[in-house]
Amino acid sequence: MALEAGVRSAFARAIGAENVIDDPVRCRSYECDGLTGYRVVPELVLLPRDAEAVAAAVRMCAQHKVPFVARGAGTGLSGGALPVADGVVISLSRLKRVLEVDPVNRRAVLEPGVTNLEITAAAAPHGLYYAPDPSSQQVCTIGGNVAENSGGAHCLKYGFTTNHVLSMEVVLPDGSVVTLGGDTAEQAGPDLRGVFLGSEGTLGITTKITVRLLRTPETVRTLLADFPSVSAAGDVVSDIVAAGIVPAAVEMMDTLAIEAAEEAVHAGYTVGVPAALVVELDGPVEECDVQFEQVKAICDKHGCTRLHIAGGPQERAAIWRGRKAAFAAVGRISPDYFVQDGVVPRTRLAEVLDRIARMGRDAGLRVANVFHAGDGNLHPLVLYSAAAGETERAEKLSGEIAELCVELGGSLSGEHGIGTDKACSMPKMFGEDDLAVMHRVRGAFDPDGLCNPGKVLPTPRLCGERPGRYRPHPLEESGVIERL
Amino acid sequence: MTTPAGSPETKLPQNGPSAFDAHHPPQRDLLDDCVHCGFCLPTCPTYQLWGEEMDSPRGRIYLMDLAAKGEISLEGPFTEHIDRCLGCMACVTACPSGVQYDKLLESVRPQIERNVPREKSDKLFRDAIFALFPYKRRLRAAAVPGALYQKVRATRLGRRVLPRILDKLPARLAATESLLPPVQLKEAFARLPVYTPAVGERRARVALLSGCVQDVFFHRVNEATVRVLAAEGCDVVVPRDQQCCGALELHAGRESGALARARRTIARFESLDVDTIVTNVAGCGSSMKDYAHLLADDPEWAERAAAFSARVRDVHEVLADLEPRAPRHPIRGRVAYHDACHLGHAQKVRAQPRAVLRSIPDLELLDLPEAELCCGSAGIYNMVAPEAAADLGARKAANVRSVDPDIIVTANPGCLLQIGKHLTGSETDPERAPVPLLHPVQLLDASIRGTVVPRT
Amino acid sequence: MTAADDTTAPTTLRPTDLRSVREAVLDSAGGLAIAGAGTAAAWGGDLDAVDSVLDMTGVTGVIAHNPGDMTVSVHAGTPLRRLNSELAPHGQQVSLDAARIARGATVGGLVATADAGPAALVHGSLRDLVIGTTVVLADGTVARSGGHVIKNVAGYDLAKLVHGSYGTLGVLVEVVLRLHPVPKRTTTVALDCPLAEASGHARRVLDGPYEPVALEWRSDSDGSGDGPAATEAGRLLVRVEGTEDALSGRARRLRAALGPAATEIAADAEAEEWAAHAERVRGGPGHAVLRLGALPSALPGLLAALPGAATPDAALTIGLGTGVATAALPADAEAIEAAHRAVHAAGGTSALRDRPTGFGGPAWGPAPSAVGVLKAVKTALDPAGRFGPGRFAPWFELTSPGRTT
Repeated sequence: MALEAGVRSAFARAIGAENVIDDPVRCRSYECDGLTGYRVVPELVLLPRDAEAVAAAVRMCAQHKVPFVARGAGTGLSGGALPVADGVVISLSRLKRVLEVDPVNRRAVLEPGVTNLEITAAAAPHGLYYAPDPSSQQVCTIGGNVAENSGGAHCLKYGFTTNHVLSMEVVLPDGSVVTLGGDTAEQAGPDLRGVFLGSEGTLGITTKITVRLLRTPETVRTLLADFPSVSAAGDVVSDIVAAGIVPAAVEMMDTLAIEAAEEAVHAGYTVGVPAALVVELDGPVEECDVQFEQVKAICDKHGCTRLHIAGGPQERAAIWRGRKAAFAAVGRISPDYFVQDGVVPRTRLAEVLDRIARMGRDAGLRVANVFHAGDGNLHPLVLYSAAAGETERAEKLSGEIAELCVELGGSLSGEHGIGTDKACSMPKMFGEDDLAVMHRVRGAFDPDGLCNPGKVLPTPRLCGERPGRYRPHPLEESGVIERL
Repeated sequence: MTTPAGSPETKLPQNGPSAFDAHHPPQRDLLDDCVHCGFCLPTCPTYQLWGEEMDSPRGRIYLMDLAAKGEISLEGPFTEHIDRCLGCMACVTACPSGVQYDKLLESVRPQIERNVPREKSDKLFRDAIFALFPYKRRLRAAAVPGALYQKVRATRLGRRVLPRILDKLPARLAATESLLPPVQLKEAFARLPVYTPAVGERRARVALLSGCVQDVFFHRVNEATVRVLAAEGCDVVVPRDQQCCGALELHAGRESGALARARRTIARFESLDVDTIVTNVAGCGSSMKDYAHLLADDPEWAERAAAFSARVRDVHEVLADLEPRAPRHPIRGRVAYHDACHLGHAQKVRAQPRAVLRSIPDLELLDLPEAELCCGSAGIYNMVAPEAAADLGARKAANVRSVDPDIIVTANPGCLLQIGKHLTGSETDPERAPVPLLHPVQLLDASIRGTVVPRT
Repeated sequence: MTAADDTTAPTTLRPTDLRSVREAVLDSAGGLAIAGAGTAAAWGGDLDAVDSVLDMTGVTGVIAHNPGDMTVSVHAGTPLRRLNSELAPHGQQVSLDAARIARGATVGGLVATADAGPAALVHGSLRDLVIGTTVVLADGTVARSGGHVIKNVAGYDLAKLVHGSYGTLGVLVEVVLRLHPVPKRTTTVALDCPLAEASGHARRVLDGPYEPVALEWRSDSDGSGDGPAATEAGRLLVRVEGTEDALSGRARRLRAALGPAATEIAADAEAEEWAAHAERVRGGPGHAVLRLGALPSALPGLLAALPGAATPDAALTIGLGTGVATAALPADAEAIEAAHRAVHAAGGTSALRDRPTGFGGPAWGPAPSAVGVLKAVKTALDPAGRFGPGRFAPWFELTSPGRTT
């Protein structure tokens, strides 16, 4: 059932025909985000130019009961911006003004389409920066970061998007506009801002975001260290933590990931070593001096085979370029790959890596590992060739790795989100009651179920249904959801 | 057909015959290299302007893939969005997966030219451009102060088409005309010496491509190039009867014309006893370095093209490799260097021009904000898509002004014209002398000769 | 009407674990007040009369501490002070320094009231440290969210909803917390100055590379009526944490930045210095304590203009980086109403904490723009309005179940 012509023209009237894409070929450009395995062509793509137009578009959706999906840069890796059949995409790519940088109160006010890196660029002249730094920071938008509660390499010390957003102007699914949060982190009443952050676009659309800015650290020390084994590198991380040091970042890459990254950006990684650690300390000079020596000693103790200390901002940038390009760079060593995103308690890193290696061997597939070692966030990349018919095997392995993380006391996702990709795995991590309560909260924001439906929480239509015999989904049985 | 949500297939299935013809369709493995990560979006000029997925590199590759999978035709939206690409190749620089968008675009544009009938007015305008630009003689005629269209009319094609398209395309024509600066007759008709010996001990023998637009509108840059190369110990040969290298046609997808020019240029230069074929034009350099690829499946020309391309170097590459020998006089001033897309993105020549400029004492080298973003010149783009080009030109001009330079240098005539136009057009104080816009070798030439820095 | 006015005292239920909390909720009917150590029992709106009080102080103790992972799961009734003393041998702590922790405040109570102390400048409040929760809803549903890892984006973050909910949405039973290393050393640099000068000094600290973990100004006045007006005399306190070897150098630089009048507090006097700060946050008898937040640049002016603030009867503290202040003002209902209005006119937020019994002034300022969503959430989780009736009056206009007997 496609949108009626009258409804289509109503959208054009609401936000201007020049801001509506209704040509089916053009709409296909929006059929997937960074996760290309899921594709749905939207009926329309709306490109509002300001917050008022976003609200007008959402009101139109509410009036005609048209499901909608907000989209930023479309870099998400969990299919969170996958369009809904018979629905519209609301692209925030034209809301990209930095509205204000307030160096005195250390905050910036942004439209949702501003990229993560542009925030820091706008703040830099004042000696300030925006801390969360997802690997896609040069392209991902702050609106998307809010939806996904994005992390990044430095969130071990500095926290996630949720710890840095003070307030948001939000268009609720009924088209009304509210502010969540305020000028200070502490606000009276239940923290709706916190619930909205990381809700993956299912509770509304942000149109204005106020973030905290931090003072650029006095000094930053970055080292790249090679190790004879992944477990040796893991021991280094444990010892750093045990020494009471909170590094700005601790990142680990294994042989395959190093090979790919090095091929892409020639950042000075040693091709062929079993594991490399990137450790970064920042803060006052005196503090960094002391801790950096400790870290170097810990690296030596665990058989570090090469220790490269970034000599300046350019070398530091090169190290990070290598790390941040690693995902996409894997495209250079494998025709196809799945990016996984799971979390385990840090103390179980060695165990999980061991089991992943075994599972990979059993499946006959290579797995490259890139991870935020400080917080146990793994990004196993399952390499495969679709042409060789390995797709299903690879997808299965990737899914099993995520579920292994849950089994070891971790999480299905550390930063990429649940989206479309993992909604059906949620029952592995949460019980029926847990999910039912999340449904209730969703219903409080979006009673008509129009806002990014089908994402985050499992629905029988997407997960439970099998052809043939009718089997009621547990959530149906508990009366939380209805079969459509 | 759309695949159902939940398919594990990350690639689109083949649902029908490809919309491309069999002559060099975009290569399957190159299309498959794109993982849809979106890292190209922020550096794409059209995505920056319009924020639409179809007008981003990722979106265009997606459309190519859809066409190759037989899901969409080349006519309509496909052609429109490929046409809107400036071909600046900033996405190639940005791509972590190493997607060769340059190769993809190079194969797709001729597909469009061959298989998609253009609207009459569009076709005529494009034909008129290519009846003018690659020809020095016609350009010289056009360069004489006066209305451009009169000069275009002087060509046979121009007589036939101009009256018909004039009223339809005022914006395009006005853009074309306003780009071309008045040129002194003396300069427009000047010729470079065929042979200039090295000053002092010879370190290399080079042949210079004098270019078409470059030689007519920026003859002084060619003169400076010859002097600088000679001063640094190069014998410089400038073959008299050389013609356009084909870059403009190549980048517009007019494949057969471009290939004919490529063959002629190879034939003209290959017999010369030189180490290097030098160009001072970013666009020419990128196309000449590409001859090897372009003619790879032509049995008669493949080897010759490969040998030719291997000898092609940008003038900055040559200069940066030679230890500075000629004494430099200081030039005191803030100099902003603009990376021409076809030099920086297409040829990855970024460090060398800067190194060359830094060899000038006292010169303060500035980088521009959003340096990776195209200025909107892009070959014939500012003529066929004047509005978008103007938006980009204004943005580049604002970025240039933000660093407050005394001099702006860039190594491509198109960029010089485009930035010059937008800097003047937006100058708030008409009394203020315009900032000199030069090719880097002009600055080096002034430094070596100890002369006053030229104004143009 | 408050519970205290009623003739029949509510039944007190004393569960000891998740199961007995759930049973207590299911076995009781009508209004239910959730109580911890009682250190913030009177904060927020006056409770309506309830049938039962759920005393959570028996639901206590560490469930699991994983030193290598720097996480701990704990029962909500555990006093944070006790938890931190259990963690101390491992060199770890929950980095929260709210004033009432010293009085025995529980983890659950601190979450429910969204309380935080000066270290919120770096560590935030418990909303930023809680990584998992288990909550019992009014219908007995046990809902978990989050998990045991510090990085986790699976599902909605229900812990955030409970944070600041004052016991109106559900009973927080288990909490998983992120831990930080106990700093090797801390030191505090102090500078005496009136409120009006505090911002200027604070800017110098914030603009420099000093990375304070707390940056507060507190009035000399503790509100007892002796001495100078609260705004006129006070002390800027800057706390830095770090390693033995580095901290002296940092403190020296910090002192230099603040000028010759700045002093480093002696190690044995530091705790006392911050205790004096906490005392002013808590206020004294006869005070109505208003917690407020506003843009840091606007906050000192706003604070000074509050009714009664510029007198010896007030005690003030202000976080110059966080924008969060506490004003213990002479208890006057109209003055508090005016204060709420003033804060909201400046775009800020306010909540009333301790005040004399029967005070009558409004606990909250004007409702936020998203009050509709708040009500919908309340209806979704506690449709009968059993938990904490009256706490958010007049924001939640749900029909209170009142007393069933």
